[in-house]
Amino acid sequence: MLDSLPYELPELVLRAPLDVHHSTVLPEWVDWNGHMNLAFYVTAFDQASGAFMRNVGLGRRYVDGKLGMTFVLETHVTYDREMKGGAPMRFTTQLLDRDAKKVHLYHEMFHAEQGYLAATNEVIVMNIDYASRRSAPWPAPVAERLEVLWQAHKELPRPNNAGRVMSLKKK
Amino acid sequence: MKVPPYPLIELDLSAPLDRHRATVLPEWIDWNGHMNVGFYVVAFDKATDTLCEQFGCSFDYTRSEIGMTFVLEAHVTYDQEVKEGDPLRITTQILDHDAKRLHYIHAMYHATEGYLAATNELMLMNIDHASRRSAPWPDFALERIEKMAAAHARLPRPKQAGRLIGIRHK
Repeated sequence: MLDSLPYELPELVLRAPLDVHHSTVLPEWVDWNGHMNLAFYVTAFDQASGAFMRNVGLGRRYVDGKLGMTFVLETHVTYDREMKGGAPMRFTTQLLDRDAKKVHLYHEMFHAEQGYLAATNEVIVMNIDYASRRSAPWPAPVAERLEVLWQAHKELPRPNNAGRVMSLKKK
Repeated sequence: MKVPPYPLIELDLSAPLDRHRATVLPEWIDWNGHMNVGFYVVAFDKATDTLCEQFGCSFDYTRSEIGMTFVLEAHVTYDQEVKEGDPLRITTQILDHDAKRLHYIHAMYHATEGYLAATNELMLMNIDHASRRSAPWPDFALERIEKMAAAHARLPRPKQAGRLIGIRHK
């Protein structure tokens, strides 16, 4: 485990859920159905995961400094409403669980002007050692921040769309 | 609709469907030096096109302004990394269907090394082109979906299907 990180960490945002990430549906994300293609929801959510990781101290400098990386192990998306090219997006992120190497995040994507829920994403992200490309415990300052965040997020109600198993039988 | 205004391809009843091949493009690589999470889904979505061609609901379906297919839900497991230029083989198994929806799972393999790179479970819904709302599958599609589902029914259920995301605490 890394005991420290060789750069200054950003100010920790404790708002729960985290609500710092905004972006826009790019023209190249739109498919022949005239809306954001399903894959680019995953890309957009991955950028929201990046915002969460930056908040705990794991941004680009973590990778560029050859210290470590974060890999996604698994992702689950619900597509609730279409988004068109140029639509502004606003994301919220809830920490659902964490352990020594992983976090379980839940994102919601909203149309930033019209307010509707466009999609949700549940994701498991794992810390990776740069040299071995294998899983490794969070660097100590990151683990510390995750515990502080966990205290702020654990009281949030569990989202309805979390923990879904896909089936035609429901509804 | 009994017959679409375009030709249907010959139906492939092999189980799982094993027709889709692709290559990891340079623009699919991220700063970690491997295919980015979003582009696995791009690759899988093209395998969905290959699946939908089987029952006439792919590009011709939308171009002819008959209908579209929308994904309602997607689950991806990232099992092993793939790098730029890697050849991919994607197989598809139908798990379930109803009058409007199709539930299936793709498996992505490194085409020459053979390892499983990822899986993608999906729920697809048929959409009427004019109303942009859900609608029953056209007759020509449902007939073929039923034949494929019957052929796939004898396959074992993949362990990646029906997964619940979470961290297991020891």
